[in-house]
Amino acid sequence: MRKPIYIRGAEQVSIQKPLCEEWMETPIVYDVEYTRSIDPDFKQFLSPIEARRMGKILKRAVATSLRTIEKCGVKQPDAIITGTGLGCIENTELFLDALCKEGEEFLKPTHFMQSTHNTISSLLAIQTKTHGYNVTYAHKGISFDSALFDAYMQFLLGKIGSALIGGHDEMTPSYFTLLKKAGYLGCEGMVTAGETAVSIMLSSAKEDAMCEISSMRMLYSPTDAKIASTIEKMLLESNLQSDGIGAIVTGVNGNKANDEAYRHIIEATRLNVPRLKYKHIFGESYTASGLGLYAAAHCLHKREVPAHMIYEGDKEPQTGKAMLLINHSDGKTITFTLIKSITQ
Amino acid sequence: MEELILNLKKEIIEVLNLEDITPEDIQNDVPLFGEGLGLDSIDALELIVLMEKNYGIKLKDPAQGKEIFKSINVMAEYIKNNRTK
Repeated sequence: MRKPIYIRGAEQVSIQKPLCEEWMETPIVYDVEYTRSIDPDFKQFLSPIEARRMGKILKRAVATSLRTIEKCGVKQPDAIITGTGLGCIENTELFLDALCKEGEEFLKPTHFMQSTHNTISSLLAIQTKTHGYNVTYAHKGISFDSALFDAYMQFLLGKIGSALIGGHDEMTPSYFTLLKKAGYLGCEGMVTAGETAVSIMLSSAKEDAMCEISSMRMLYSPTDAKIASTIEKMLLESNLQSDGIGAIVTGVNGNKANDEAYRHIIEATRLNVPRLKYKHIFGESYTASGLGLYAAAHCLHKREVPAHMIYEGDKEPQTGKAMLLINHSDGKTITFTLIKSITQ
Repeated sequence: MEELILNLKKEIIEVLNLEDITPEDIQNDVPLFGEGLGLDSIDALELIVLMEKNYGIKLKDPAQGKEIFKSINVMAEYIKNNRTK
């Protein structure tokens, strides 16, 4: 029998008040196309000398990770796995901008070092003195889900007993402009484009756990029948009946193509339960699905779903039950993550 | 010379992203590396780029940096004698 996987801690830096759950009661409401994260005081986590070579994405990753570690007490996880859609895009832009303006001679080594995607996971390993499995996934809208899925499979194989996973993305003004032109962000009726930094500690030890990840699947262009049979298998693996799921958590964001894909996927699951959203709170970014898992875990842990998260369904969400999280990238790659309340 | 020293300190703070450090915090004769500011080899590369970009001084041998970057005073003296812009 496989060991359970528990979420032991989850912290965020986003467009909401950082490193706390104030968004549950009093979320900050935005009426702009794009905004950047609200940063905590990084001096709590890094000395100025340590922080001087870190871009914001790195400082935020350190802050969320160290706070998660501090709260749950797993100091050196067996694995550090993160996902990032754009990597350290701000420093990449600085590096490329200098290259275009001044040629190759005056390129700054710090911007070059910080422009690589895997800087995040490796920095977290240095900060936590963790020498285990260390991977960064850069898979656009499923980057966080890929990190989570990797951890999930390694737990199943018995290779790890704990993992710090994360989703980290910056959004620069220039990149926002490009994505707006492409129709991904800034469309009429869409949520604010934001930034993500989320760290979640997974462990096979139940101590003070928030909830359990009982099953996960990642599918590519599945048929409706495949989606239905996948959900059935996930319920079976989780020892749940179909009425064991209290809510579906989706990444609807006001973009017609995105929301239509969610509508289709939800229909194919054949689950008639309340639907929750989170991107109106945290904004849209490539790794926003990490904030979806963060939000759902806190809802199950606190046994409370804020009314502003419910967008469809005639029943109240059951927080003592399980939640099914759905994420998709361009409607093709779809992930299902089933998390259970540990008190049921 | 005093103006050069002040500008140099401001430039170092900017390129090395030394938040919370002011020009007054950097002593003119204290070592920049190891003790003092506690800079390291990557900072040395940043300083080489700064010297070339801002003062037109090209250090062909990185080992030269060890002497030139000894302190603010030594660095400013070298810039004063070798600058091309």
